[in-house]
Amino acid sequence: MINEKNYEIYFMSYIDNELNAAERAAVEAFVLTEPKYAEELAFFEKTKLHASSNEFIEMEDKIFLYRFPEMQASLDINFKKTLYRKEAPIRKIIFTPNLMRASFAIAALLILFIGLKLFKSEPNILESNIVESALKDKTALAINNNSSTNSKQTENTILPDNAPEASVNKINNTNNTIAKSATTNQAGFEDQAIANNNMNTNIINTTEGLSRTSRENDSQNILVAKFNEGKISAIAMETKATEEEKSIPSLPTNYKEIDTEEEDRTISIGMLEIDGAAFRGITRRVSALLKRNKIEKEK
Amino acid sequence: MTDLEFNICVDDYSDGVYRFILKISKNKEDAKDIVQTAFEKLWVNREKVETLKAKSYLFTVAYHLMIDQLRKESKIIMTDSFDENANAISQGSSELKQLLLEAINNLNPTQKSLILLKDYEGYSYQEIGEIMQLSESQVKVYLHRARLILKNKLTHLEKMSA
Repeated sequence: MINEKNYEIYFMSYIDNELNAAERAAVEAFVLTEPKYAEELAFFEKTKLHASSNEFIEMEDKIFLYRFPEMQASLDINFKKTLYRKEAPIRKIIFTPNLMRASFAIAALLILFIGLKLFKSEPNILESNIVESALKDKTALAINNNSSTNSKQTENTILPDNAPEASVNKINNTNNTIAKSATTNQAGFEDQAIANNNMNTNIINTTEGLSRTSRENDSQNILVAKFNEGKISAIAMETKATEEEKSIPSLPTNYKEIDTEEEDRTISIGMLEIDGAAFRGITRRVSALLKRNKIEKEK
Repeated sequence: MTDLEFNICVDDYSDGVYRFILKISKNKEDAKDIVQTAFEKLWVNREKVETLKAKSYLFTVAYHLMIDQLRKESKIIMTDSFDENANAISQGSSELKQLLLEAINNLNPTQKSLILLKDYEGYSYQEIGEIMQLSESQVKVYLHRARLILKNKLTHLEKMSA
């Protein structure tokens, strides 16, 4: 039942039109009891907005809200699939200044490292090559010494067959034997060489009656003979030099002190010869760059 | 719902939904976007939504879109007036109406929505509850609270002017 305590709720429900007919009648009767309630109800009525004040606001572009059958038209799924495109992912490498500096520094260090390594290893390689070649020569000489007599015998037996290939082999063998004999008898190198020449000429004479191919072999033979002569003389020179070295008493090794601050000094890295001043300049710049990077990172 | 029924809904409810949103958001473009989205949703769900409930559906969708929009833009605290729309409404209206509109502007969005849905659209407490996802008693309490605020404001302003 409506009273002084709950009349506000009833009044608000009344203006909101949420009361049934009986409740509405009760409110109207209650208002008539005292004029202040009528004033209260009038104030509540004033809080109500009237639809008439709202009517003239219309939505713009309402036309876009309408739907037409044509708007429902859609493409075939298979056709749509042909329209899809896939873009290949692009990997971008961004060279920042710091990255550039770092890469340059790394490249410079690598070059230095490789150069130093080559510089250190090169003398050893040369030495080992010399030793290896000497050993090979010695072993070859030893083998050829043993087979020199046999080859001479076979030369006489094979030559009458008039086989060009065989004759070439024989010629080579004889040449080798000449080299061997020359090396074994160190004192008579030159005599042996002359003898070899004679031998070669003899061989050429014997192969004169052979076919055209045998002539070509002859020319090869001459070349081989000449080469062997040169080899023999070279070996002779080497042996002489070693004898001379042996004869000279060993002296204490003197090392020359290198002035690192010398302006004209050159530095060899591998096969490259670099100007010392320029090299120092590069190394200073690289170290300065690295220091600067470090300082920047610390900042 | 057929194409024809949908287009009738556009004729009948688009302005109402637009007004409702515009009065709270105070931004024409936002209001238009919200109405567009609400009708888009209605079109997508036209087979599920009955024609008779289309209006309620549209207001429900629009209200929640507006609340989301306001939350995004942190426009929860309403200030100033109805701007150009308020001025337009006040044209030819009494001083009391102007005062009322100013008072409504000071309400929070929920209270404002309740007043607008009740007074302009004539929804019942139950319907408002469905639109705003509130219980009927909650709608009643919140709406009464809003009315009391408006009444006190109007009483105070009338006393000041007197």
